[in-house]
Amino acid sequence: MVSDDCKFFHLFKQEMSKRKRPDSTAPAHGLTEHEKTIYDLIKSKQDMGIFSQDIKRETKLLPNIVTKSLKSLLAKNMIKEVQNVQHKARKHYMASDFEPSAEITGGSWYHEGALDKTFIDLVRKTCLSYISSLKIATVEMIYDAIKRSKLFHVECSQEQIAEILRTLELDNQIVEFRSTGCGEFAAIPIRRVCYKIAKKPGPGKEPKVSPMASIPCGICPRISYCSPDGPCTSPLMRSTRAL
Amino acid sequence: MTTQWGIKYAVHIISTHFGDLAARVCECLLRRGPLSKHNIVRFAETPLKQVHVCLLLLIQQNIVQAYIVEDTGGMDDVVKQTTQYMVLFDNIIHRTRFPKFMTVVAQELDKGCTELFQSLLQHGRLTVEKMIQIQESSYGEESVRENLAKLVHAHFVERCPAVEPLLVPPSEEELAAKKRSRSAKVAAEPDIMERVIDAAAPMESKRFLIIRDDITIDSEMADDGSANVGEKRKRSFLASNSELGIKEEVLWRANYEEFLHRFKHNACVEDVRQRVDDSAAIALSAMLESSRRMESKVKSRTSVPVPINAIYEEVMKDEAGRSMTLDDLREYLEHLKCDRGANDSYSIDLKSILELAQNEEVESIVLKRYGEDSHRIFRLLSKADHLLETSKISKMVFVDQKETPNILYKLWKDKYLHMEKVTVVGSQQCEFLLWKVNKSALWKNILDDMYHASLNVSLRVVHEMEQGSELLSLPPEKREGPLLVKLERLRNIKRVLEESLRKLDDSMMLFHDF
Repeated sequence: MVSDDCKFFHLFKQEMSKRKRPDSTAPAHGLTEHEKTIYDLIKSKQDMGIFSQDIKRETKLLPNIVTKSLKSLLAKNMIKEVQNVQHKARKHYMASDFEPSAEITGGSWYHEGALDKTFIDLVRKTCLSYISSLKIATVEMIYDAIKRSKLFHVECSQEQIAEILRTLELDNQIVEFRSTGCGEFAAIPIRRVCYKIAKKPGPGKEPKVSPMASIPCGICPRISYCSPDGPCTSPLMRSTRAL
Repeated sequence: MTTQWGIKYAVHIISTHFGDLAARVCECLLRRGPLSKHNIVRFAETPLKQVHVCLLLLIQQNIVQAYIVEDTGGMDDVVKQTTQYMVLFDNIIHRTRFPKFMTVVAQELDKGCTELFQSLLQHGRLTVEKMIQIQESSYGEESVRENLAKLVHAHFVERCPAVEPLLVPPSEEELAAKKRSRSAKVAAEPDIMERVIDAAAPMESKRFLIIRDDITIDSEMADDGSANVGEKRKRSFLASNSELGIKEEVLWRANYEEFLHRFKHNACVEDVRQRVDDSAAIALSAMLESSRRMESKVKSRTSVPVPINAIYEEVMKDEAGRSMTLDDLREYLEHLKCDRGANDSYSIDLKSILELAQNEEVESIVLKRYGEDSHRIFRLLSKADHLLETSKISKMVFVDQKETPNILYKLWKDKYLHMEKVTVVGSQQCEFLLWKVNKSALWKNILDDMYHASLNVSLRVVHEMEQGSELLSLPPEKREGPLLVKLERLRNIKRVLEESLRKLDDSMMLFHDF
């Protein structure tokens, strides 16, 4: 199981590494004509890289020649294989000089081609706890609090915090307001976007569920097949017979 | 346009209340629109006499409205008049709300009024004489008249519309305006219904007017001037020419609109109570209570502006609101984004509150049906209100890029989302899928599903009662031991199912009536 430290280190590497400029003066030593063609094509794609199928199509070389050339270039560390988050099963190649773009890796929230849900949940919980303690908070206030706490080895940008807050608002865990500048919003400039923890049901009360969602038919995936004349095969309907 | 499952649910209600024959006539009118009696006979494949009786029953119960159309087609100069019959779908669904109406009346008025109101619901429409006759064993004539006056004053009861009004053809300007309208075809159907209802409706000044003496009715109408002379002429024309032989007289019926107003306000207040707090709910409730009488239509977007002093007076009537100061009230109204108008009056956009409630309802269904990730995606698209591309959605909601298309496809297949394909031709041809929530289409599907669910639950109630009919018919002395347990179970099932129907009906009103 990958430790959190390793993940943070990985993210740190991603965030802090600068894209290396291609060294145009370095000659392609000891490369065959085919290898040079393929290498030039891969290098031209810069940080987007290219699929092996597209190499075959664009170079119009025979598949076995392409495969052999790619093996040779990999062995010479002139190219590297990267994981494309959109097409994990396909082989994707990039010149060693470049770091894969966010479109290939999936962005800063992705780790080894998969969404880093553990880290995302950690950042969400942290944001929630700060909003809860501050009562009303703007993106800037939460960002400053996280930055000062140095809770994460990697620095989350304000934009990333805003992305997290948007998902919390979509999950109805926080509510977005525009400050009126008075009352509970007195400390926040007028019309600035701010957040509060969403109102929970009172003690002894359950969260409100739509009447339609609280009956089996309302959430039945087979409701469009159900009719009074036909037999109902839905397991949900069968369970109501246990009433 | 009534939805498919709406029609089936309505037919089931009529079948349960009045039998299969009435249900067949109703279904024929629901599916084919307004028809003459002979066309009903033809399409419902029912003998004329039976159709006649059914129509009388359905008109009596305020489910069908007759009207006369003039046909000036053909070479003849003779204007032919035919009587058409139109079913009122909403009034069929209102029949399932009678217990709710009774609860409202019982809360506000006394037992005598409640019993009189119950008679009106049972019989559909009654004259004053008929009401006195029905209640003569419990109440004297004066009590009945007094109770009727209270019900009319509270607007729970209204005068019935005309039996067979003449539908005047639209003027040339109206026709030209309709042709210019983009949705002329869609507007045509509800337009006929609205025109018939308007033509049949009594004048607003007479709708809640009780006149003691029948002789006084005619003289009062003669005193009112030319407009009422026309009304009187129309009435005497109708009385002698009603196709079904219905006499034109002063009839009273339950005023469904008043109850819908109240339910709409209650829905808004409860939504605010959930989202904000109790005090804000008290402030809103007071504002709506003081403006309800002035509201004309149930589906009006905003409430009528009311001066803050009037709202404050209403707040003071509520025990929980007595600790609220005028400044507190102002603050709550501003927090609710009420519009402040002239003379320190306030009004509120009820449509926006109801839209929030509708969104919550649908999001709750999506969450339960499809899970958290789908709920997040749906909420994003619902709030965005414009097309978003698949990968952008994936990034914004932190759902894996591989899973996102599957979720979107599932929601699209069940008609929760609208999808468009965009092909970009460059060095390579790329296809992008764009998604959005089309609320108007989705709300219709949700409403149709609600009718479907209501029908299923209703059928289940009927089935359970049929299965337990023997148990229910047992004399009390034999209800013991295992039989008693079974009887209790049956009662519990009925209670749970009827409670579900009642709550589902609240949701249906949110999407259809408010």
